[in-house]
Amino acid sequence: MTRRTVELVIVSAMMAGTLVAETHKEFRFNVGAKAGISVNNPYGSISVKPSTGNAVVINAVLYSDKVEVDSSQTGNRVDIQSHLLQGANADNGRADYEILVPADASVTLHSSTGPLRAEKLHGDVTLEGSAAAVEVRDVSDAHVHVRTLNGTVYISNVQDGHVEVDSLSGQVTLDRVTGPLVQVVSTSGNISYIGDFGHSGEYRLTSHSGDIDAVVPESTSADVSARSVKGEVRDDIPLQPKAHSPFPIKQGSAFFGSMGRAAVSSTVVLRSFSGKIHLRKRSAK
Amino acid sequence: MTCVELQKSLAETEDANTTEQRAHLRTCPQCAALVADLYLIASTAIELRESDGPSPRVWNSIEIALRQEGLIRPQSGSRSLLPSFASRWGWSRWMVPAAALLLLSMGVYFRQHNRTQQIAANVPPPSTSPALAVAGLNDDDLLQEVAEQAPAMKAQYEDNLRIVNEYIHDAQSNVDANPQDEDARRSLMDAYQEKAMLFELAMDRSLP
Repeated sequence: MTRRTVELVIVSAMMAGTLVAETHKEFRFNVGAKAGISVNNPYGSISVKPSTGNAVVINAVLYSDKVEVDSSQTGNRVDIQSHLLQGANADNGRADYEILVPADASVTLHSSTGPLRAEKLHGDVTLEGSAAAVEVRDVSDAHVHVRTLNGTVYISNVQDGHVEVDSLSGQVTLDRVTGPLVQVVSTSGNISYIGDFGHSGEYRLTSHSGDIDAVVPESTSADVSARSVKGEVRDDIPLQPKAHSPFPIKQGSAFFGSMGRAAVSSTVVLRSFSGKIHLRKRSAK
Repeated sequence: MTCVELQKSLAETEDANTTEQRAHLRTCPQCAALVADLYLIASTAIELRESDGPSPRVWNSIEIALRQEGLIRPQSGSRSLLPSFASRWGWSRWMVPAAALLLLSMGVYFRQHNRTQQIAANVPPPSTSPALAVAGLNDDDLLQEVAEQAPAMKAQYEDNLRIVNEYIHDAQSNVDANPQDEDARRSLMDAYQEKAMLFELAMDRSLP
């Protein structure tokens, strides 16, 4: 037997072992309006999309016999838990979930490693995970709460949202996110906002040492205050100065003014301790 | 001692270990069986509490509600409805209420501080936040538990602890330097909130 043949046999055996170890499970539940769905998966991804009708469909891929799926329904609530058995670790305890839920369901997702994804929902969405990358898309009229340690957070196309993001060191990007309250607190992660700050909301972006970058279209109406204790603050958009600044305006480290039509403006607060803050106009393409 | 007297006495003592109780149990197999069952239930209950106990917030809320209803009084003995510090994760079960207390204290302090400034601007404000005095979040305990529960994540938690502690330090320095600055105070509150989140993520669900 040649060396190449031996290698092929070994690789084939490994692949066969992997295929045998992978298990697919499906669970279905019928729920009513505004159901609650909770998923706790220590290791692996969770992706949630809208279903048709009132069905909750859970497709799970388990990567070894060290992890099981516990699922239960209590009234209008469905709980899914990856149950780790003795000896499980991040590799053999991994499970990936693809879940369909009614669009009005409230969803709570937890995973240490992630990634976590939720899209096209209009119920409340809560996503938590230490290193999990988080992605939320196309959500309307809902609360979106995200908490990560160093996972990146990407939220896009959220309308009328009540959005709160807490991240220690992950990059946070908000793309076309509007609503009565949009708040990001980060310790060292950069924060990027792309959009028009809605019409009458409060937008508060805070990072201790990360940079804050806000890119807005020319039509934006907002009262903007920006301040960094030790970092540089720049605005490329001419702001109308406002009287009675709540803090001393020091050139290059703070600004306070309004842009657009004051009658329909949002309040925007950008704060950093040592990071840079940059407010700039979106270039027309 | 009769069987009735023994059963009454069990409500007053924990371990059926007085001379009279022991004498009765030696001669009464029914009561001996009852006491054995009680021991079994008690030991199993402890194990259940250790492994599948609800969140400390639940215990805390129940205890507060029971106190408000007057159904329980403050415990004078060593036993408590609250989680034990000695138990597994016992220290961490106090972290969320402690963090909540911390943030609440800061909120109350800042609110009162603002009011005081408005009423009597000539009174010099305190230079340090009393919230620091109630900050009981113990980094070493957290890292030790993370090392035991999920060693691969220890480095990640160490990094995050370091940066959040820097955040608290910088924010506190800023408050000290600018005690009347609303932004500085809010920043300090945010910093503590971030640290509370770190502890919550470690103890709640993220660690398997």
